[in-house]
Amino acid sequence: MKDDGQDLEDRYRRVLRVLPGYYRDQWEDDMVAAYLDSRVTGDEAEDEYVAEFGRPALTEVASVARLAVRLYLGGASTPRRYFAWGQAVRRAVLAVTLVHAMAGLDALVLLDWNRRMVSWLPAPPASLASVTPVGVLPPTVWHLVDCAWIVTLLALALGHYRAARFIAAAAIVPNLIWLLYGEFTGTLATLAIGPWAFWILLNLVPVLAMAAFHRDAPPAARWPWLVALPAGYLLVAVPLMVVKATGNGAWLPDNSGLLCLLVMLACVAHAPRALSRRTAVSGVWSLTLTLLAALAGAYRIASLNDYRRDPHLIAVGLVELLIMVAAVTLVVTDAGRTQAATPPPPHPQLS
Amino acid sequence: MASTTMTGQAFFVLTALADGPRHGYGIVGDVADLSQGRVKLKIGSLYGVLDRLAAEGLIEPDREEARDGRLRRYYRLTSDGRQALAEEAELRVATARVVRTRLGLAGGEAAG
Repeated sequence: MKDDGQDLEDRYRRVLRVLPGYYRDQWEDDMVAAYLDSRVTGDEAEDEYVAEFGRPALTEVASVARLAVRLYLGGASTPRRYFAWGQAVRRAVLAVTLVHAMAGLDALVLLDWNRRMVSWLPAPPASLASVTPVGVLPPTVWHLVDCAWIVTLLALALGHYRAARFIAAAAIVPNLIWLLYGEFTGTLATLAIGPWAFWILLNLVPVLAMAAFHRDAPPAARWPWLVALPAGYLLVAVPLMVVKATGNGAWLPDNSGLLCLLVMLACVAHAPRALSRRTAVSGVWSLTLTLLAALAGAYRIASLNDYRRDPHLIAVGLVELLIMVAAVTLVVTDAGRTQAATPPPPHPQLS
Repeated sequence: MASTTMTGQAFFVLTALADGPRHGYGIVGDVADLSQGRVKLKIGSLYGVLDRLAAEGLIEPDREEARDGRLRRYYRLTSDGRQALAEEAELRVATARVVRTRLGLAGGEAAG
């Protein structure tokens, strides 16, 4: 007796529900027919049993899930709303990778400076000492992680998506090891949610979201992203370094606060385009910034827990969050416009 | 016309349709035969490839036939698909010839 009142066809159709509606309208019945054909063995009794009690294999479910990712985070041949989501996720991944690469470049510059690799430079002040996380992993591993994020950004910008995914996946492992080591040895503060939030939101999520860089994805704008690294380093990392060098580092926001402020600045810079509604492409950038704001906001909220004994720092964190939310409201309407349902792309119809 | 490099899966699917229209599961079986069992297309993967090839204008629906209460849709190559497949086959033959030459096997390019 069927335990769920369904047969194999129903179960497979339920799996196919993860696909976008426009795609199911076009292909679902055909996929079901092909799938049921693939389960036929020729043995009447076995076929009856499979038709009634069989379930789609995990490999079949995985192939449908991969197809769903490709369609929802679509390429140029998908409906505009899915293409917009795909582009927004791809740009958000590039932006997060850029931040990691900037931090990595900053760490490598400080390392070289502290080791006096450039002899004519004066010795750095003590406030700019090169530091790596204390724990089970040697400093060399962290320097390799810094390099890996820079290489990941270059690989994404140059279209080497598989290499980028592999390198980024490797780059997030040391941080996980450091966190697990800290949890098991007690060197990580009790209830330290911030470091875990950082790893999940800014390491794991971007690496998983790199699935958006699939075969159908249009290539990233190469030069803007390549130039963004040195430009971002000069505009963000160098001023921060100057503030630290002058002994005013205590005034700087923490990592999550800094992310909120960067997203806020980007939203303000983009707001004139988003509010003018004159360019169709502005909506994708607005959606990108909204995604980044959600990521930075979640990280800000999670890391507030680390300041639970300091109400002043919690207040500062909340102000950073509110400033970013206020800035995002300037672009969120434009982002919403990209979600307007549009007709499916023209597919050849059976005449 | 295909504007990007053809994947192995797309190459096999187009090859399966080269001698006549086939339905979804027919393509899966033919691809498995053509690849000597090395390429076993899952249904999700197959329809990802078919969707892409249809969007690129390389295949098109041919007809529908009812069997066991279900409609089977058949697909065929378009003229662009035939040309793209021929070009890809030429490229692969040329590549194979170079490989055989470099490995010193019979059937490679003549030295000179």
